[in-house]
Amino acid sequence: MDEQRHLRQFLLFVFALLIPCFGLWTLASGPLALPAIGLVNIMLGNWFPDVVSALYAQGPEGLLMTEFGELNGAPVSPALSEYQLGFTLDTRILSYSIPFYTALHFATPKKDYLAGYLQGLLLLYILLVFGLLCLCMKELMMVLGPLFLEQQDVFVPPASVIALLYQLNILIVPTLAPAAIWAWQSRESPLAAALMGKFPAH
Amino acid sequence: MKRFIVVFLLVLVTLFTLEMLTPVQQHVIVPFTGLLAQLSAAIVLPFDSSVVAYGKILQFGDSGFAVSIEAGCNGVEATIVLIAAVVAFPGSWRSRALAIGLGFLAVQAMNIVRIISLFYLGNWNLDIFTWVHLYLWPVLIMLDVLIVFILYLRWLSRADTEELAASNG
Repeated sequence: MDEQRHLRQFLLFVFALLIPCFGLWTLASGPLALPAIGLVNIMLGNWFPDVVSALYAQGPEGLLMTEFGELNGAPVSPALSEYQLGFTLDTRILSYSIPFYTALHFATPKKDYLAGYLQGLLLLYILLVFGLLCLCMKELMMVLGPLFLEQQDVFVPPASVIALLYQLNILIVPTLAPAAIWAWQSRESPLAAALMGKFPAH
Repeated sequence: MKRFIVVFLLVLVTLFTLEMLTPVQQHVIVPFTGLLAQLSAAIVLPFDSSVVAYGKILQFGDSGFAVSIEAGCNGVEATIVLIAAVVAFPGSWRSRALAIGLGFLAVQAMNIVRIISLFYLGNWNLDIFTWVHLYLWPVLIMLDVLIVFILYLRWLSRADTEELAASNG
């Protein structure tokens, strides 16, 4: 009976917290994305200097500008085009992991909330940066094709690896990572003990 | 715990890679997604005469708003996460199979609610549809998986306790 009460209480808190957490995240998603966009801008600029011009922040979106122009729907040298080819990326499809984790974390009874929360946030942010990098590479691959994949003297992951990493980071990581971090951090909590019994030690 | 994490990640990445293969997409994922669309249409049509359904598309006859149920909207990834967690946790194969079967049904039931709710939300407000579709529903589906897994762990724990009590009694 105690288990049922724990589970009901936990679920009630999670659902109650999801609403304000997602509300705050919607308001803060622009500033939240800024450091990730800055880091990925540095990484892409150093990794693919002949392809990537810059990654700019536009609120919660990133604007990835390439070193190519566009003519009749095809990427060309900037000298042949009046326009620089760029595309927008939605960082929120990665960062919604943060309000989900926040709701799970604060719905669980704990002695110390802040330290664990900051550790969890840091892990999620590292995954967000990696996810954004994969998202950028997938866009470059789709838009530029061989111009991106067949660069001279630059290691570019194979197309299938980029595609798989992109799918993994979009479809699985933003929802699985918060749940996994929460489960790991809560494994010794009274809630986990009441709900699941002891996790196997081996 | 280490064993759980290693097996979980191994099963997760293997199943996810398999899901991405073109033959699997063609012969399993796309037909399954079509089936989900038909099921969603079969639930909506008796209650709403303004809705028309064809293939994997649901459409409002009056406003013209339509949704196409695509791969990625079919709950397969959530099911893969559940399978990986259940397989990685120690238990009999019978209980694992039961948990995966019932969990699959729970995820798909939730996913049909998701499809139908998004269909009506989209007809009402496209911005809210996008927000709920991209950010909120994936979280709710993962919560569904988490709850199923917690219930499975509780069931395993109770079965162990009862077995121990029976052997002592």
